[in-house]
Amino acid sequence: MYKILIVDDEPDVCDFVKHFFEERDYDVATASNGEEAVRAAKKQKFDVILMDVRMRKMDGIEALRKIREFDKITDIIMVTAVDDKERIGEATRLGARKYITKPLILEDLESAVYEITSSLKKDTAKGEPA
Amino acid sequence: MTPEKRTDSNWAKVNTWLMDKIVSTEGSLAPLDRDAIFKRPKAKLDYQVVLENASRTMIRFRKPERLIRMIVRLIDQELGTTHTAVLLYKEDRKAFVLIDSKGSEGVKIPVNFIRMTFDNPLVKIFASRQNYMISDTGTLSHGDLKSLYENKEAFKTHPDLEDQIDLVIKQMMLLRAEVCIPCYYKKDLIGVLVLGAKKSGQKFSRQEIGFFMTLANDAAMAISNAQLIENLQEKVEEVKDLYVREHKIFIHTAIALATAIDARDPYTHGHTERVTQYSLCVAEEIEGIPEAIAYKNFRETLHISALLHDVGKIGCPDKVLNKRNKLTAEEYEKIKEHPVVGAAILTPIKELSDVAREIRYHQERYDGRGYPDGIKGTEIPLVARIIAVCDAFDAITTNRPYRKQQSAEIAVAELQKESGKQFDPIVVSAFMLAFEKGKILPFSSAKRAKNIPKT
Repeated sequence: MYKILIVDDEPDVCDFVKHFFEERDYDVATASNGEEAVRAAKKQKFDVILMDVRMRKMDGIEALRKIREFDKITDIIMVTAVDDKERIGEATRLGARKYITKPLILEDLESAVYEITSSLKKDTAKGEPA
Repeated sequence: MTPEKRTDSNWAKVNTWLMDKIVSTEGSLAPLDRDAIFKRPKAKLDYQVVLENASRTMIRFRKPERLIRMIVRLIDQELGTTHTAVLLYKEDRKAFVLIDSKGSEGVKIPVNFIRMTFDNPLVKIFASRQNYMISDTGTLSHGDLKSLYENKEAFKTHPDLEDQIDLVIKQMMLLRAEVCIPCYYKKDLIGVLVLGAKKSGQKFSRQEIGFFMTLANDAAMAISNAQLIENLQEKVEEVKDLYVREHKIFIHTAIALATAIDARDPYTHGHTERVTQYSLCVAEEIEGIPEAIAYKNFRETLHISALLHDVGKIGCPDKVLNKRNKLTAEEYEKIKEHPVVGAAILTPIKELSDVAREIRYHQERYDGRGYPDGIKGTEIPLVARIIAVCDAFDAITTNRPYRKQQSAEIAVAELQKESGKQFDPIVVSAFMLAFEKGKILPFSSAKRAKNIPKT
């Protein structure tokens, strides 16, 4: 089971996305701001982190920067508002894997995570022969 | 309790709820009288009554968001769906955006979280109206679609539909939708209503589907109307802004022109400004009379006419304008041309045709002995009659080559003496009123007032 961390300061969003991926057999944890996300990422290794850009307390860009200080490999998908072009550029420089713009297309959310985890599958298949 | 009765009481509940909404002031244009509604002959409370009331509520909503919130809440409460969502077409995004939703935790799709574009199979089928090939109401139910999909016979005549239905089913699963209802306005799909399954596990009845179909389409109408009104209001504001801006530019141009004219004539320095000032004060006293009301825009015409009344002096040679001694008969004739020249200058400007007329006649006399045309009484337009009085008052109260300035009191006495002869008595009375109220501050007394601290 792949582990996902959902980071968003809107509880509705966290709940929905958690439920959405749990139904698709993912192991889902949530964090309601950047600080919590950094703490969670320090504590355990996730396969994918879905990070909202605009958040109170610590925003997504800052959390991304902090996480990259100790973790260079976890794939992080940024979720941004349409008008956040500048921050998308910054996130890419900081090592975000991809971004999704809100309001998002539900298939894009599904496929963005799926693409990452299916590529992991190949890696593990290679690394750990059954 | 028979099932029918249970349905009835259910609809009765919806009806009461709707009534509350209709009579509440929130969101509606004006509250209806609650008694008036309830005094109506009691019809059997069924979905048709509810529908009727709902439709009436719809068209009264100014803010479509409130209406949508109401519909979503209604569905949530009355049908007990796992979740409900409304997506509306947003022109700026070129997509359908989820604008309201309700439902249990984790199932409810957050507001503004998702969008559907025109390549979404669900939107595609609704926009192309192929949904009517599958269901006569146009609503798509997950259960029906699935049994249709399994019945391969149905696709013999429409093989292309099979793949499409497969995609729509997947889309509905993604949205966890049991029923999807399209909202059309005229020919366009403007929204999609998404209903989750009923928590009770029951299927939606035809009656319920029909109800929400109509609700959705009335909502579409209300939303489109509201958007139309909003767009219209924006347009009105734009035009207003433009008008205010253009008007400002115009007045400033007129002031600039007037200043240029004044600058050429050292004896009448500030004359235009004062005449304009006096004229506006007189206008305040007189703007209620029918003749003033008959103007398209009395104040504006007066303002611009006063500013430009001497524009024709552009055509006077400097040596005539600046002459200290008495003018020769020939020179005087030259000066007398200025109203006609002024009118001629402004005539090509279509918007100033009124102003050109006033300028032409500002040297006419009430008794008909003025120039250029010798018209009299109310043949002379009102604004021209006002400017004539204010023009004379300023001439008397300022130094002229041929006469020393007089006090305001002497000037006023002069005006009164000429009332009914040179001047319109009504305008003279209005001038007197303004003068007595202290609004008319003549050049001499203004100067005197300025000098007081020095002496």
